[in-house]
Amino acid sequence: MSEKALKKRGGFSIKKDSTQAVLMLLPMLLGFALFTYGPILYIIRYCLYKANDFKATYIGFDNFARLFSRDPAFWDAMLNTVILSAGKLVIEIPLAMFLAVLLNKGIKGTGFFRTTLFLPAITSTAIVGLIFSLMFASFDGIVNNILQSVGLIGRPINWMGNKWTALEMLGIASIWNNFPINMIYFLMALQSIPKEIYECADLDGVTPWRRFWNITLPMIAPIAQVVVLMAIVGSLKVSDLVLASTNGAPGGKTEVIMTYVFKYFFGYSGRSVEIGYASAMSVVTGIFLACVSFIYMKVTRRMNDVY
Amino acid sequence: MSMTARKRLSAVLIYLVLSIVFILVIFPIFYTFMGSFKSNQELLTSGSTIIPHRFVLDNYKQAWSLANFERYTWNSVYMSFFIVVGTIITSTVAGYCFERGNFKGKNLIFSVVVSSMFVSLGSLTLYPTVMIAKWFGINKSLWGVIVIRVLGMNVTNLFVTRTYIRTLSTEIDDAAKIDGCSFFGTFVHIIFPLLKPLIATIAILEFRHSWNDYMMPMVFTMSKPERMPLVVGVVSLKSSGEAASSWNLMLAGTAISMIPMMVVYLFFNRYFIEGMTAGAVKG
Repeated sequence: MSEKALKKRGGFSIKKDSTQAVLMLLPMLLGFALFTYGPILYIIRYCLYKANDFKATYIGFDNFARLFSRDPAFWDAMLNTVILSAGKLVIEIPLAMFLAVLLNKGIKGTGFFRTTLFLPAITSTAIVGLIFSLMFASFDGIVNNILQSVGLIGRPINWMGNKWTALEMLGIASIWNNFPINMIYFLMALQSIPKEIYECADLDGVTPWRRFWNITLPMIAPIAQVVVLMAIVGSLKVSDLVLASTNGAPGGKTEVIMTYVFKYFFGYSGRSVEIGYASAMSVVTGIFLACVSFIYMKVTRRMNDVY
Repeated sequence: MSMTARKRLSAVLIYLVLSIVFILVIFPIFYTFMGSFKSNQELLTSGSTIIPHRFVLDNYKQAWSLANFERYTWNSVYMSFFIVVGTIITSTVAGYCFERGNFKGKNLIFSVVVSSMFVSLGSLTLYPTVMIAKWFGINKSLWGVIVIRVLGMNVTNLFVTRTYIRTLSTEIDDAAKIDGCSFFGTFVHIIFPLLKPLIATIAILEFRHSWNDYMMPMVFTMSKPERMPLVVGVVSLKSSGEAASSWNLMLAGTAISMIPMMVVYLFFNRYFIEGMTAGAVKG
């Protein structure tokens, strides 16, 4: 049918059609080139310059020399990012998986839980940062108050006064915000497993734990591989949560990579604008992110062909 | 007998675990909403109780009339509206052109677009984006955000629309063409009306994204409070120096920013959950 129709219309109108297609697509292609690849080219160019909002001078690889030899704060920020991501994902991913398994049991009322447990995922990450920084306030904060009245702590904790407690708060906020979407991904993966496999296992008298370990996990491995990758990259790119809650407090010790570089670009929070240096840091960060994804895919490639 | 007893026990345990998680999930939201009804005096002296002694609407009144929140809300509404409408048009057009279109280099362009997913630098590209917007004179208002979001080609949306259009039979296109419809006319009269369910999904996802977004609108409205959307406005109260004295405004503002999203979610939660997962799996 398709070919016949095309023949009928002759070459001219096919040409006209493809012109129309290109014209329709043009605004988006321009927007895409300008606003997706444009910024990347910009960063690649300016990483070789010393630049602020007014002028730029070429300085070769000086920015990189500075980054690798004279800026420990950058590497601290990178380390913070890795610690925060690892620490929260170790809890978040198993929690999401566990809840998905529970919701998948098909017990009455799970629809209600599925809907309400998803609520954090529709809350703005910046707002989450704000809410948690209010809850974890040292003076009269609700978290300190509850912990005190239960008797877990004697005096109120100054959560923002110490690097590790501040990171804990960030981790908790981030888990709260992000576990629901992973839970739903896992739930969807679980629902795609054919029921017959479980029936066979039941006939063989397999224990629930073995059932999960030897059937469920391998069956959802390919989806889990992608879900975990997205979770890792997403948490390495955390920015608004930190800006809206600790904003690096105390004294820049909870700065993460994105917020650290961001402040050099915009001169935010009293820093002076250094576009060239910020671009150099962006290039290094981009390469780091790409390496993480690449290594992850290499290490986990067996998850894709378990069955 | 023991089998059913065990089943009942495990059901009870599951309910128990889910209820605990439910409380942990709801608590921050509940606390915020309750806090927004406390008087400022109560917040400053005994902010640690959950339920207010006395429910007052002062915070909302103050936030609305004295602290720019009317403006913020309006900004959020128009920004989200134009992003949603614009994205519906650009995503469906792009999906249609890549699926049904026939032009040189189509596959190459498509793979270039898709590969952009792997070079995402998050907030690191914000500064260059603002600079590029400056060439066009749109770096000082939310219009910059709108143009970038609408024309910037969202890969997830592109995937979803393209896949959806593929499921539509090409015979209707052909029939339309024989009747003299052009490529563009076929889209407007035949394809677009068939995309209704997909449009609902895109609209909801895009609404969630634009309403909740912080970084991009923030850099486009830096130091211009009258142009900020809600989320940016609320968070800016925190860094404005007198943070402790504006807790009441922050709480009310947070509540104002969350209510529309929750209402939409309440009615369309199925679309939310399906849409957010559909995009991820295709990618």
